[in-house]
Amino acid sequence: MASEKFVIPIGPQHPALKEPGHFEFNVDGEIVTDASVRLGYVHRGIEKGAETRNFVQAEYLVERICGICSHVHATAFCLGVERLAGVEAPPRAQAIRQIVAELERIHSHLLWVGVAAHEAGFDTLFMYTWRDRETVMNLLEGITGNRVNYSANVLGGVKCDIGPEQAEAIQIGLNFLEERTRHYLEVVSSDAMFLRRTRGIGVMTREDAERMGVVGPTARASGVPRDVRIDAPYLLYAEHPVELVIEEAGDLEARFKVRVRELFESYRVIRELLTALPEGELTARIPRRIKPAETISRVEAPRGELFYFIKSNGTDSAERVKVRTPTLPNMASVLALSVGHQLADVPMILAGIDPCFSCNDRMAVVKRNGDEQVWTWEQLRQYGIEYYR
Amino acid sequence: METDTCLQKAAELLAPWAQETIEPEPGRVDVAVAPGDLVAAARALMDARWGYLTAITGLDPGEEDGRLEALYHFACGAAIVTLRVRVPRTRPAVPSLIDVIPSVSFYERELMEMFGIVVEGTPNTDRLFLPEDWPDGIYPLRKDFRMEQLGG
Repeated sequence: MASEKFVIPIGPQHPALKEPGHFEFNVDGEIVTDASVRLGYVHRGIEKGAETRNFVQAEYLVERICGICSHVHATAFCLGVERLAGVEAPPRAQAIRQIVAELERIHSHLLWVGVAAHEAGFDTLFMYTWRDRETVMNLLEGITGNRVNYSANVLGGVKCDIGPEQAEAIQIGLNFLEERTRHYLEVVSSDAMFLRRTRGIGVMTREDAERMGVVGPTARASGVPRDVRIDAPYLLYAEHPVELVIEEAGDLEARFKVRVRELFESYRVIRELLTALPEGELTARIPRRIKPAETISRVEAPRGELFYFIKSNGTDSAERVKVRTPTLPNMASVLALSVGHQLADVPMILAGIDPCFSCNDRMAVVKRNGDEQVWTWEQLRQYGIEYYR
Repeated sequence: METDTCLQKAAELLAPWAQETIEPEPGRVDVAVAPGDLVAAARALMDARWGYLTAITGLDPGEEDGRLEALYHFACGAAIVTLRVRVPRTRPAVPSLIDVIPSVSFYERELMEMFGIVVEGTPNTDRLFLPEDWPDGIYPLRKDFRMEQLGG
């Protein structure tokens, strides 16, 4: 019997985060000896769908690949299609795209800190970070009208401007968040109980990280200097750059520190962009049909390099849209890192790469008792309070 | 500047296997290689520590073309090198890169299930994204795929 494998299935429902994925862990007692994964529970055939829709429709479609980093998907797609068409978005549009992208990173990293803290059993930190995250969600809603799927992009530019009032609201929000972030950095690097769940856990050496091709904060926490914003600047990242945030330890603690420290860079670059916001148009005209060509568009999503390959064929829709999200290379590292760890550390190791899951954040009632209604934010909030009373 | 040096170095490394080399846009080089040379070409890049494999794109140029394509994109800073492998539609097969790039498994599993390109020697041939009850021999990202093929 001793030689027989004992397999623990985890998932497909919410193995760690609220994302479906099915893992099988072979264990020897409490220690993981092998791991495998089955994905696709939220596979929606978007690459195929993008081939049968025109470029404008496809942009809305790809924005829905992810509920957390929707903006960065649309940005990668728009930059690619614009390059194929030989069109460049006006400077003001690029600045606004970058501001929204960094606000999105703030919301994503704060969300992650909360989720990962929850996996570690530190629910106080989870609740505080998610409370503070509302600040940036409100800022995003103020600019675009939406909390998720902001839909700030259109092909050729953006559809929302940032006026003086919004700029001021953003500054105030960032001041509050910066102060809170200083506190979180102290917590994740000094809380003794928390460090027992993160320090020396899930260690990935720089060599491993490079061999496995991991991207984003997961790579940077292992000392790999890899950030598309710096390596291949797009939007206005050449004129308004971010500094590379890197840690050497390669454990969960390092992954916390990298993401929290990156927040300061996001705050700084947003402020810089707000004070130097270029004047001018928000959109450039883009042709409906695009001559046959192929392009590659890469951007730094909150979770790392997001890769788009787009092929046009002379019509108004794409011949092929290939998307490689950062979670795919990073997921491979989870399987490798789990081996040798306690089974109880697995959820933290999985959470450590910040796997990207679709989220559905908001309920909207459009028809009730047969009457069509439009609700204000206050009414919706009140409805939420009554509903859960 | 730096990007151009990177691309030049890659072109030199890949020269022994290159059937055709084009520069489709700034910062990119597209090198066509024979399926049999794919592993050697990838190994040349990896041994020289030239970047990392960022994605594999499957492409179906249409039935009349008679071929399928697999595009292996390597990134080094802002430079991207694509190894383009063309295989006959009647017997589409490429060798696995698992000995050169241990993390390639997911990408190869996706290429297999979406395009029906056989990846010879890959350690795990299970489906990654498609459901268990997906019919065998039906590849959704091929151009001739029709929803009716799924029955029901």
